[in-house]
Amino acid sequence: MTLSGKAAIAGIGATEFSKESGRSELRLAAEACLDALRDAGLSPADVDGLVTFTADASSEIAVQRELGIPGLRFFSRVDYGGGAACGTVAHAAMAVATGQADVVVCYRAFNERSGHRFGQATASGRADSTGLEFSWHLPYGFATPAAWVAMQARRYMHEYGATSEDFGRVAVAMRRHAATNPKAWFHGRPITLEEHQASRWIVDPLHLLDCCQESDGGVALVVTSAERARDLPRPPVLINAAAQGTGPDQMMMFGYYRGDLAALPAIGNVGADLWRRSGLTPADVQTAILYDHFTPFVLLQLEELGFCGRGEAGDFIRDGGIEIDGRLPVNPNGGQLGEAYIHGMNGIAEGVRQVRGSSVNQVPDVRNVLVTAGTGVPTSGLILSAA
Amino acid sequence: MTAAAGESAAGRDAAAGAPESTGAESTGAEGVHDRLTALAARLAEAGERPAPPCADPVNEPMIRNWTQALGDPDPAWHEGGLAPPAMIQVWSMPGLGTAKGGSAADEVLRLLDESGYRGVVATNCEQTYDRYLRHGERLRSTLRFDGIAGPKRTAMGEGYFVTWYQTWYDERDERVAEMLFRVLKFRPRERPGGAGKPGGGGKGAGGKGAGGAYPLRPAVGPDTAFFWDGVKDGELRIQRCADCGALRHPPGPVCPECHSLSREHVVASGRGEVHSYVVHHHPPVPGRTPPYVVAVVELEEGVRIVGNVNGVPPDEVKIGMPVEVAFERMDDELVLPQWVPAGAARQGGDEAAERKAGQGSGHGSGHGAAGEEPVLEIPLTPTFVIATALATRDFTPVHHDTALARAQGTKDIFVNILTTMGLVQRTALATVPGAELERVEVRLGAPAYAGDTLRLFAERAGNGTVRVRGTVSLGDHVTATVRLRRGGGHGGGHGTEAAR
Repeated sequence: MTLSGKAAIAGIGATEFSKESGRSELRLAAEACLDALRDAGLSPADVDGLVTFTADASSEIAVQRELGIPGLRFFSRVDYGGGAACGTVAHAAMAVATGQADVVVCYRAFNERSGHRFGQATASGRADSTGLEFSWHLPYGFATPAAWVAMQARRYMHEYGATSEDFGRVAVAMRRHAATNPKAWFHGRPITLEEHQASRWIVDPLHLLDCCQESDGGVALVVTSAERARDLPRPPVLINAAAQGTGPDQMMMFGYYRGDLAALPAIGNVGADLWRRSGLTPADVQTAILYDHFTPFVLLQLEELGFCGRGEAGDFIRDGGIEIDGRLPVNPNGGQLGEAYIHGMNGIAEGVRQVRGSSVNQVPDVRNVLVTAGTGVPTSGLILSAA
Repeated sequence: MTAAAGESAAGRDAAAGAPESTGAESTGAEGVHDRLTALAARLAEAGERPAPPCADPVNEPMIRNWTQALGDPDPAWHEGGLAPPAMIQVWSMPGLGTAKGGSAADEVLRLLDESGYRGVVATNCEQTYDRYLRHGERLRSTLRFDGIAGPKRTAMGEGYFVTWYQTWYDERDERVAEMLFRVLKFRPRERPGGAGKPGGGGKGAGGKGAGGAYPLRPAVGPDTAFFWDGVKDGELRIQRCADCGALRHPPGPVCPECHSLSREHVVASGRGEVHSYVVHHHPPVPGRTPPYVVAVVELEEGVRIVGNVNGVPPDEVKIGMPVEVAFERMDDELVLPQWVPAGAARQGGDEAAERKAGQGSGHGSGHGAAGEEPVLEIPLTPTFVIATALATRDFTPVHHDTALARAQGTKDIFVNILTTMGLVQRTALATVPGAELERVEVRLGAPAYAGDTLRLFAERAGNGTVRVRGTVSLGDHVTATVRLRRGGGHGGGHGTEAAR
């Protein structure tokens, strides 16, 4: 039995993306879910499953109550921060494919800028397994995601001769894409490589413009069977392959203790599963949504997923590889660096638009889109395909 | 005077005249430098001038206070009628309520203060004893400004080394002792927003809040407690599977290699190299002063560990750089294993930390002389810190007033330098009984705070010298070279065995 092609994304929805939503996270979640259901041509009464992130502040039953969903047959949560994004769709697809539920909504909503900011220093840990893991790092003032990523970025630079400019070209490309996306926070505000280089240090070797913005907002996705999706108003976007994965000696962004720091084995494993389960190769993908919380990990993902060889991502990007007209257009919506940081869920929605052919920065003739979730943590990925 | 993180870091500074690129901070540096140079030249030219008088003759009651406070049992200081040589500075201390006055460098220190070099740490103290003094002798002393060196880049910040001399004479105007004293006046690294720490002195690049508990505390559980217990004892412990011997860091309850639940640990040598690193600038992190370096250090045992690299400017840290462990006390409870450039925490051949490592269970790496014990091990009770400060007639509040010490940015009251000199003397004479001190050269390091333990190690280095090293949980408090001469010039008490 395989999951491939059994389930589809039938609707996508979102709130506006801002720095201060001015309303509760539960309200953002409910608004996004209602928007996605409208897009799918379904009503809350059709929903019998909900999936979100462990990190989300709004429980499934709270969303159920707000939406007036009569009852849930399936509910689950996926852990490990932004690594959960594609995992929510994977869980929903499995529930649909096995008949555990008919219509599952995946949601993520937060006031990540006006409320609890992930970019601020984490100061304490409990003595559970996660707290103990953080305790090898936090006491040294090693307390932010930017710092944790920068540690691997430095080693990557050392191993392959990559430079800050190589990272900067990712930020420039994302902001160029966002500049033509009216929903993007950075709509109409492209940047230059010089501006990237001149932006202040956050954690050397990362400049300010290597870091995604912090955002308020919500995104929801409606997953149902491929069969049912065919009867709904929007062209079905098939879940061709879905995977979650970890690497050896996996930690939460602290993969420093064994092996190669200039690598992201978890997303490598996810990629291998996606290619195997879909029967596709990197050449069969017309555009990719690569989780871009910090620029260096876009380079590492290009390598882990097989779009280029080890240490070659800098050249790939310098040659225009990730531009809209490049070999592999990456994040046509502007990504989390340019559109908004909604923990990767806005990227999945862009993947759906690319397959539908409805993106403001549409890549021609899209048949397959690869989408990844947060890296450096246990992660997940999807291949979305036209029916 | 704060003796802190001084020589180990300051001694390795870059070539003179190469200030770091501090941008606006350096504005007007040329003018300041010229004024300093001119002032230093004028002071040096003035030469030797009288210091405030020595109020009391060399006397047994003050010697008794001193020997009792320092725990010095040597009968020579009483039955022998001699004064401990390391007490030399005590005889000319002005006492409580008297203006301290006349360090011979006051004008230079004031100009540096006014020019933003507000931090101060003592880095060197060298004393030469022409002969031992006897009870009843009257002394006078003089001061002589020597010079300045700088601006130099140091771990504390850009700064100038300022050196002066004090000389003691007997009633026949014959010199009996001379002391060189050197401090680093530095420009404390600025915090973002410009809130530089007033008073500045005595903090490493990491930076901790004055007083209170360090806010970034590790969670400790049954599987990790052995590590944090070890750190408190100055040991870097690495979990080892008791069955298959696999080393593992961070530790956990099960051996991932053979699934044994039986664990033990080894004590790491404390040597490794930087495998990767970052420099944290933003956002603000409680308890830390950016920029600071966090590194993945690969230990020579093969495991990796994360920590701060201290004692070196962030832009000089490189992948592959050899580093060694330096235990940093963060507050009353927490000690963190930290990293400094290899060689920075140790000078000379006497590697007390290595000996310590060599004692570890089953480490067996052969570094250092396993099992060697410190010559002296002194629990630094508040009573010890205060009693020795008063017995050396040093009434500076940072040595007896905890609240005031903390207000000045130090963790607690700490041992004063005159006491450190006395303890170096005690250690050297315990190592070579019957010898006589001729000269002591001391380099000052981490402060010896109340609540800590000072361990003094000694090693005969040939040619009549003894190397003394005093360690606290923060690292080396003092490293000293003591030159000895054949005893007997003073009669009574001391034997005549030559130092070798």
